[in-house]
Amino acid sequence: MSPSEPLISVPAIDDLRRDRSGHLVGRTVLDRSAKWLLPLLYLVAIGPILSLVYWISVRAVPTLSWHVLTTNPSGEAGGLYAPLMGSLAIILLATAVAVAFGFLGGLATAEYLSDRAAETVRVSANVFAGTPAIILGLFGYFALVEYLGWGPSLAAASVTLGIFMTPYVFRATDLAYASIPRHIREAAVGSGARPVQYLLRIATPIAFPQVLTGIFLAMAIGVGETAPLVLTTNQYSLPPTGLFSKAGALPLDIWGAYQNPLPGIVTAAFQSAFLLLVIVVGLNVIVRVVAVRSRRRLEGLYR
Amino acid sequence: MSGPPAGVGETVVAVEDVSVRSRDRLLLDGISIDFAARSLTAVVGPSGCGKTTFIRTLNRMTELTPGLKVRGTIRYLGQNIYAPGVNPVVVRRRMGMVFQRPTVFPMSVFENAAFGLRIVHAPEEEVDAAVTEALQRAGLWEEVRADLDGSALALSGGQQQRLCIARALAVRPRVLLLDEPTSALDPAATQRVESTLERLKEDIVLVLVTHNVGQAARISDRIAFLHSGKLVEVGATADILERPREKLTEQFITGRFE
Repeated sequence: MSPSEPLISVPAIDDLRRDRSGHLVGRTVLDRSAKWLLPLLYLVAIGPILSLVYWISVRAVPTLSWHVLTTNPSGEAGGLYAPLMGSLAIILLATAVAVAFGFLGGLATAEYLSDRAAETVRVSANVFAGTPAIILGLFGYFALVEYLGWGPSLAAASVTLGIFMTPYVFRATDLAYASIPRHIREAAVGSGARPVQYLLRIATPIAFPQVLTGIFLAMAIGVGETAPLVLTTNQYSLPPTGLFSKAGALPLDIWGAYQNPLPGIVTAAFQSAFLLLVIVVGLNVIVRVVAVRSRRRLEGLYR
Repeated sequence: MSGPPAGVGETVVAVEDVSVRSRDRLLLDGISIDFAARSLTAVVGPSGCGKTTFIRTLNRMTELTPGLKVRGTIRYLGQNIYAPGVNPVVVRRRMGMVFQRPTVFPMSVFENAAFGLRIVHAPEEEVDAAVTEALQRAGLWEEVRADLDGSALALSGGQQQRLCIARALAVRPRVLLLDEPTSALDPAATQRVESTLERLKEDIVLVLVTHNVGQAARISDRIAFLHSGKLVEVGATADILERPREKLTEQFITGRFE
């Protein structure tokens, strides 16, 4: 080998795209088609949600007015005040139930239980989260409406929906506390902090945004959930006045109205659907804001 | 065992026949050693020899690891910290600890340094004074004084580690335990932490776990060499480095095993 001869012969970049007879090689063909295929697949993926928002908005937005939001349903002419108030009352009470059980359960699992016990609780919570909502509805019906005699009511609906939402809050709480780096706990304890001081002063400020995110996501999932409600409360033309009064809800309106022969009632279903979408999107926006802010604050903690 | 180096005061921590057992093995086997005021003792030894376990027994941090059993006596100013009725939280406030990696909390520089005082509800004026003093002693004051309310997470690794030292110092402990405090730092940051430690040994007891014999040579008064859970040899730094009495010690300091 002469000293000037290169050790490896490097083909020009252009040559790499073609084989000896000048045809494009396979990976180049794949690369070029992917450039067109991927945006197309993206459209296929977001197409359904765009068309969903479009079709609901087209039917709902022109008919929505302040009047619709502030008057009770009455045949074809009425508004959505009662189901809207019912939905808000149910979701707030259900959130209280879900936070009470989910937060405490998640905290106990992450901070206090032995590894084995925590794992058992986590598996159970996952199974629980996968339980079809209608089964919870059935439970709510027999346990609350019938056995405790609450009747179809705000309380029965809220507790049932709250149970449905609990695993989401549980999981967020457990994950938030369990993922705090071990050395942070050691440092707090090594500085002479009692366990409760570690929990309140160090762990909770770190975990809280993630817990809050979980709560809002649970609300966004819960507010549109229909199955836990159909057996525990009814459509009702007045807003709830107390825990044991009847309470309508937006999803129940949709459920009860879509087959109605009266076009005004069907319109009400679309309006309910639109309001639900607005609430869900709003809750998700809150989730993003909380997540982004906390990420900024905690940047560098997990490196 | 050679006598204590000059300038060393009374015994602050006395370790008497301490053994630590995990579920399946003996981690420390009958360790006895005293730590005197105004001294820096480097605890060295190969990986897994028990140096971290040892330093964690000194302020009962071992209790955070399930399944560890500590036997023997450790006296802090004459009082057995493992006696029934002794609150480990109080022990840890007297013997601060700094870890391998910086462990700042997601709060301001000031609040990080103030943490140990906040949890005992110290009055505000006292907190101010103690934080300033602690940051000065840790050699961080000049770098952070302009932005004490800035996030501690924005500091460099070396600054964070000195902030952790300041946090430990703010409660004015008699003893500071350091578990490989420079192993995650670059040479420049290591050098700054080392000079901070050299100044600190003028007034408190420092126990420094390190895998780095060079570091022990640079800043310690005394070296304790651990091997397989046993204290092989302890003596003045120069003696251990130049005239080790045990074969194992010699092999370790000459880098024959790690």
